[in-house]
Amino acid sequence: MEIRFIEKEPVPKKFILINALPDVGLVGVIAATHLISSLKMKEIAYLDSEIFPPIIVLHEGEPKSPIRILANHSLAVLISETAVPAEAIHPLANAIVNWASSKNVEYVISLGGVAVQNRQDIDSPKVFAVLTDKKLMKIIGDSAEIMEEGYIVGTYALMIKKCMEIKLPAITLLAQSFFSYPDPEAAAATIKVLNKILNLNIDVSELLQKGEEIRLRAKDIMRRTQAELIKMNKAQEYDLPPLYM
Amino acid sequence: MERKKRSFFEELINFMDSSWDEETSIMQPLYNIFLKPNEVVVTVDLPYVDLNKIEVKAVEDKLEVLAKTKEAICLSKFGLKHRSGEFNCYHIVVQIPVPVDWRKLTYRLKRGILEVHLPRL
Repeated sequence: MEIRFIEKEPVPKKFILINALPDVGLVGVIAATHLISSLKMKEIAYLDSEIFPPIIVLHEGEPKSPIRILANHSLAVLISETAVPAEAIHPLANAIVNWASSKNVEYVISLGGVAVQNRQDIDSPKVFAVLTDKKLMKIIGDSAEIMEEGYIVGTYALMIKKCMEIKLPAITLLAQSFFSYPDPEAAAATIKVLNKILNLNIDVSELLQKGEEIRLRAKDIMRRTQAELIKMNKAQEYDLPPLYM
Repeated sequence: MERKKRSFFEELINFMDSSWDEETSIMQPLYNIFLKPNEVVVTVDLPYVDLNKIEVKAVEDKLEVLAKTKEAICLSKFGLKHRSGEFNCYHIVVQIPVPVDWRKLTYRLKRGILEVHLPRL
């Protein structure tokens, strides 16, 4: 099934693409929502396909695709306001990476969470980075720890594979988070890393102050996302990988 | 035919399974259950709730959690005009699938998440 990118506005000439798809703790979606409003990004494109759920979302009376791209002059954010069906993640991952490589994308950053069982007792969630190329270490510096061992399951895993295949540099930032509860603190942790690596100055205090409201607003999309994550066998991220060979 | 009919109604029930009940002003919270070797842990996400407004009790082999919010939550707060409703309570009943010692039930609220511990028998 084809996934179409409908471009409504000109795409920036050279930019970094940030992916924010619903995942554990909705970390990417919450972080991206804050990023979009802080940087006053405008919608430039949306995605459509017969494999997506038949949904539109209304904002200020305007019907919108739930999966769309917002941008400023140098950054674009791909965000989904609906759970991505497990059956759609392969074509979606391929389509995003192919679209990015057809544009002048410097590199891709995907925002998500890595679920930890003791999240309730963690005051400052750590952020881990998965890099497709060691050269990206220069960008990451000491802003995030490199994830050395473990499993990644879901859309981002497929995107990492595809990016490696076509040699599009990709950074995946994963904050320690709850598995199935919206986690604004983890989202704030990823934004702090973005501030360092992209030289931004986004204030996360409002995000943290509105934590309860965000958790309440996001509970329905979290519930639907959890159902899809279970179908993807997301719990395998808790497993220990076998010996490196 | 009977199976088809049942499946249709199950789908219909799932479709109507909203976590916001406007008639009773009750919200269904997100929750999880973890079966550990020595205990069962149930966690419930309860934004806008203080510990002293939470009631946790055993009803036969089920755990019931009732929690009042600090303030009324109106759907209009989220910009909705086509639905109205004010919510002031979370309610959930969780089936505990293994025998537990209900007398030793303990709980805490941290980061807005209720964590209930039930030692296994």
